[in-house]
Amino acid sequence: MKILAIDTSCDETAAAVTEKLSVLSNIIWSQASLHSKFGGVMPSLAQRMHEERIDWVIEKALKTAFPQHTIYDILSTKIDAIAVTIGPGLAIALGVGIDRAKKLALEYKKPLIPVNHIEAHLLSPLVRPNNLQFPAFGLVVSGGNTMFVLINKIGDYKILAQTHDDALGEALDKAARLLGFGYPGASVLEKTARSGNPDVYKLPIPLINDKVRDRFSYSGLKTAFVRLVDSLKNIDKTQTANLAISFQNSAFSHIIRVLDYQIENLLKNEKLKIDNFLLGGGVANNLNLRKRLKDLCKKHNLTLHVPYSKKITGDNAAMIGVCAFLRINGKRQVLNEFMDYSKIDRNANLKLA
Amino acid sequence: MKIIKLDNKTIPLAVEALKKGGLVIYPTETVYGIGADATNPDAIKKLTKYKNRPFGKPYSVAVTTQEMAEKYASLNNTAKKLYQKYLPGPLTVISTGKHILAKGVEAEDGKLGIRIPDYKLVTDIVTLFGKPITATSANASYKKRPYKIGDILENISDKQKKLIDIIIDIGELPKNEPSTVVDTTLDDFVTLRQGDIKFKDKNEVTSRSEENTQNVAKELWQKYESHKGTRAVIFALQGKMGAGKTIFTKGLAKAMGIEELVTSPTFAIENEYQSDKEKLFHFDAWRLNKSDEMKALGFEDLIKNKSVISIEWAERVADIIREFDDEAIIIWVKINYGKEENERLISWGNI
Repeated sequence: MKILAIDTSCDETAAAVTEKLSVLSNIIWSQASLHSKFGGVMPSLAQRMHEERIDWVIEKALKTAFPQHTIYDILSTKIDAIAVTIGPGLAIALGVGIDRAKKLALEYKKPLIPVNHIEAHLLSPLVRPNNLQFPAFGLVVSGGNTMFVLINKIGDYKILAQTHDDALGEALDKAARLLGFGYPGASVLEKTARSGNPDVYKLPIPLINDKVRDRFSYSGLKTAFVRLVDSLKNIDKTQTANLAISFQNSAFSHIIRVLDYQIENLLKNEKLKIDNFLLGGGVANNLNLRKRLKDLCKKHNLTLHVPYSKKITGDNAAMIGVCAFLRINGKRQVLNEFMDYSKIDRNANLKLA
Repeated sequence: MKIIKLDNKTIPLAVEALKKGGLVIYPTETVYGIGADATNPDAIKKLTKYKNRPFGKPYSVAVTTQEMAEKYASLNNTAKKLYQKYLPGPLTVISTGKHILAKGVEAEDGKLGIRIPDYKLVTDIVTLFGKPITATSANASYKKRPYKIGDILENISDKQKKLIDIIIDIGELPKNEPSTVVDTTLDDFVTLRQGDIKFKDKNEVTSRSEENTQNVAKELWQKYESHKGTRAVIFALQGKMGAGKTIFTKGLAKAMGIEELVTSPTFAIENEYQSDKEKLFHFDAWRLNKSDEMKALGFEDLIKNKSVISIEWAERVADIIREFDDEAIIIWVKINYGKEENERLISWGNI
């Protein structure tokens, strides 16, 4: 089954063609550099850029997957269904992808499968053939989400912990801006942190007193960080690196502590048999976080699965196509249920479960 | 439409137009205003057509003295004190109306906004006319504040232009804020629009915990809740990273009876939460690069729909928020770090 997938949830215009769990093409047109030039996003500009680029990106995805065929041929005979992100994300950006997907579905009489962007991130390690068994743990860490989930099976999720204020990526971006790294700055923060000494500045680990660890929060850490930075004068390069690593360490220690508690609880107390841990979302690229998660998984005899490429961790459409495939369980007959497009609409605040 | 300059015929011409139920644009100490006979229903209908505003939005009126005001509204002690201290001046005082004026001037709940302009031309017109005239700004709804005639004419249609009878053009006015608007009908008076007159009510508290901050939000909601549905209510939150803007919004949502988890909208820029009865729009301008991006996000429609809105990092989009100070109640909330670890100084209203 071949799916054309489209995602315009935020700064990336993305289209992909997937076949079952495999990626035939995965085209991402990023606006990030454009927005970073302005030091923030501009939703109206994002919408305009999506509109300008979307046709090109879709055609490129189709052509890359089937270089020998015309667009008309590919859409008429090769593609079985279209999948599109309906949320969560930036409302006016989401609309661009949905409109285009509807237009194509109508024109070529294809089923249109709505996809939840967080679910796609959650399942993104499944992009590329695999035999992964459920239940599994899933962690999504991105600019917009921080969520730890028990995946009983595809479509059946239990949220074990989620953020009560900032997403992890957002907290890192904010700390980065405070240190003068511009926006988005989380990746610069990571690089800078590598040369830092973690023992110079002590920052609190969020919610250290929570007995039941079922939530994430970064507000207290941000507060402590602002106070710390304000107390220093003429911050030099070494200090910046020390500050960066301290912030990152506290932010990650918090995640690990919550995860450790939840995993322990499910494996030991509820005696669930779980072998796999899925990691998705843009912050999954942070090597320090990955290392810590690897250690955590080792402790609990879990296998850590990460997306096979950076192009699958950040926003992309390949994960959307694969997620759609998994949701219909690969069953062709189910596709008939997706011929009514009228109910498909953007939902900027779409929830996972 | 006739544009006239200031001379000895100006006042009689304006009064003549008002008597015929016409619309007169006149300068004041704040912005250009538009006057209609507040006792004439046809004149008020014409004004509503000109302003292009939804029916049911009241007009404040200009009078010349407190005695004249008392003919049309019951002034309580708070109101009387304000009249004595601040009027004439850039202050509109809302009292309970006596339902004498034309329909549409008072609010649906019978409240009436009255002002005594500190501007001789206007008081001379009202004195000669002998009746209150409307004192609303001369721009059409949701358009630029009118400091010069061009600001008005460039933003309205030919149809609207035809509705104007006389424009008294004295050139560009100094960029003063529109009048401060206070509602005196409640136990403790509430500033609905902040102009140059500022009241030092007790509006700073120290919060010592997240729970404290949420309770402040709850108290503020209770203070402004009665205005819900009559205008948009905007909580414009300012404060450094980690100050507690999201915490404040959590408290606000709770007070509104919303149980959904409230999180930072930094990434999505806008979150929406709802309960059976209430809906809260939660914005975050941290990632926004230009303030007018708020408009691309449908901010104007939310105001028109009289929504309840909370905006984090409001200082980044302050100019856009202020554009709506006629149609929305804007509560500026500032959260500053205190001396102690968990201490915050929260102030609101007149910032």
